Amino acid sequence: MIRLVAGALVAAVTLVLPAMLDDSALAVYILLGLAAMVTVGVSLLMGYAGQVSLGQGAFYAIGAYTAALLALSGVPPLAGLIAAPLAAALFALVIGMPLLRLRGHHLAFATLAMQLILLSLAGQLEVTGGDIGLQAIPQFSVGGLEIGSAAAYAYMTWAGLALVMLVTHNVITSRPGRALRALATSETAAASSGIPVGRYKLVVFALSAAFAGLAGGVYCFYTGYVAPGSFPVLISIQYIVMAVVGGLGTIWGAVVGAAAITLLVQGLDQLAYLPGMPSYAPSVLSYAVYALVLIVVVLFLPNGLLPAVADRLPWRRRSAPPAEIR
Amino acid sequence: MLAVTGVSRSFGGVYAVRDVSLSVADGEVCGIIGPNGAGKSTLFNLITGHLTADRGEISFLGHRVDRLAPHRRARLGMSIVFQAARVFRGMTVRENVMVGMHGRTSAGFVSAALRLPRHRHDEREIAAQASSALERVGLSDWADRPADRLPIGQQRALQLARALCARPRLLLLDEPASGLRGQERERLAALVEELRAGGLTILLIEHDVGFVTRLADRLVVLDLGQVIADGPPAEVRADPLVLAAYLGQAS
Ligand SMILES: Nc1ncnc2c1ncn2[C@@H]1O[C@H](COP(=O)(O)OP(=O)(O)OP(=O)(O)O)[C@@H](O)[C@H]1O
Ligand SMILES: [Mg+2]
Repeated sequence: MIRLVAGALVAAVTLVLPAMLDDSALAVYILLGLAAMVTVGVSLLMGYAGQVSLGQGAFYAIGAYTAALLALSGVPPLAGLIAAPLAAALFALVIGMPLLRLRGHHLAFATLAMQLILLSLAGQLEVTGGDIGLQAIPQFSVGGLEIGSAAAYAYMTWAGLALVMLVTHNVITSRPGRALRALATSETAAASSGIPVGRYKLVVFALSAAFAGLAGGVYCFYTGYVAPGSFPVLISIQYIVMAVVGGLGTIWGAVVGAAAITLLVQGLDQLAYLPGMPSYAPSVLSYAVYALVLIVVVLFLPNGLLPAVADRLPWRRRSAPPAEIR
Repeated sequence: MLAVTGVSRSFGGVYAVRDVSLSVADGEVCGIIGPNGAGKSTLFNLITGHLTADRGEISFLGHRVDRLAPHRRARLGMSIVFQAARVFRGMTVRENVMVGMHGRTSAGFVSAALRLPRHRHDEREIAAQASSALERVGLSDWADRPADRLPIGQQRALQLARALCARPRLLLLDEPASGLRGQERERLAALVEELRAGGLTILLIEHDVGFVTRLADRLVVLDLGQVIADGPPAEVRADPLVLAAYLGQAS
């Protein structure tokens, strides 16, 4: 019941907000939704399946470049938007075969390296427009109906986020989801239950890449241009911070984390761009804040923001475990 | 049912299992004993595929399995309960047991994401089987608790329920009674006897010779990675080599 009311409330707010915000606030709202989409994938990958990726920004970029290149060559935007997650997932499948043999921080570094390589490739190649990137990407449209306003992009973003959350929820609460959660604890024990561990890791990696790719696709139509500079390594780190802050292994936590960090960084940006601040202030400040936030959360709210708040709600307060299991 | 022929495995030049041959007949309960470090768990890992043999053949139900991945061997009908408890964290007891049904169902990511009929059908089947497995090991009352907070005895029972959920042809139990107290031990023995009566083939590693003698049709003794005795429990227990191995360890 409470869940239903909360869900209805969130839905109402997401529907009403775009109509009330001005364009600069809408930009934040859209970027927040896109970040949340990627972060839900990170939470699925890290929180549920126990695999680390410091390269989600690369899949975001692949989605953006795929949709942009297709749109620029005259393919209908809708087809480009559908191709974005598919391309990201396909790339994840190919790159995942060697990478997912690695574990823990080895996997993290390998995915980070993947993003660096892709970024430098995008900056060198002619098809991707080099460092300048791709510009004048047509507006998104479906069957002749053009989506031009920021509010329309906001709806599109949050519809995408809802889809991503629904898919994640459905996967997690079913046979493949239990298999993912199992292999996060013990690949050996999971395999002994008949779970093809390697294949499942590959699929969840591809699924999280698809979420990032979808976000990238929406992003390219919204901004109208993509360039390597839009996908710094910092964004991959940011997604992890968002997932950890919100609470790994919770779907809503990813959204809460994305919102908290986006708003925080937004506030800091205002500070960093104040007259008299050095030009490197924005990026230095965000790195510092990510580090700080991460440390504070890990130390004081190890389960993340959302579970910490939820556990304090009177109706959610769980009774202490019975004596026998202590 | 299971035939292990001339299997060896070494770690850094030292044999953990050396030229072991062993066959287990359908419906047999075969006990495996031996001093610490004799290679018992390594033998289990070789049979289930978590380790690959340097040499030798393993066949199961007429299939050569020694090159198959562990999940494929599991799907052919092997279930193992590990020596160290391996319950899946962040999942309830029931969910842990449901994982055991993985190999017997097929709903994948697409069925799950789109909530297709396949998913609904499988979930019903999985839930039903998990409930009956939980009941069988006496964990029904704990079903909705977090699995990693169970005491060790219940974690063992949980793993057994998960293994049974897969409806195996061969059940491998690695020291299932260690860490269990009198009553839990009796309960485990009764369950093993019940499973044997149901015709399940069981390989049972156990340190407590009395316990295993009661349950096993046959005893195999490993020492320094080699089989030093194999036969009916009474005979094996009187074997001078076996006595020497155990006395050697005690001194
Ligand atoms: N992964 C491994 N790497 C290196 N050595 C190993 C490994 N696994 C087992 N060994 C060695 O192989 C030998 C046999 O170990 P194993 O665990 O099979 O013995 P065990 O009979 O099960 O003993 P216990 O009764 O203590 O469980 C030991 O000397 C052990 O140190
Ligand atoms: Mg052992």
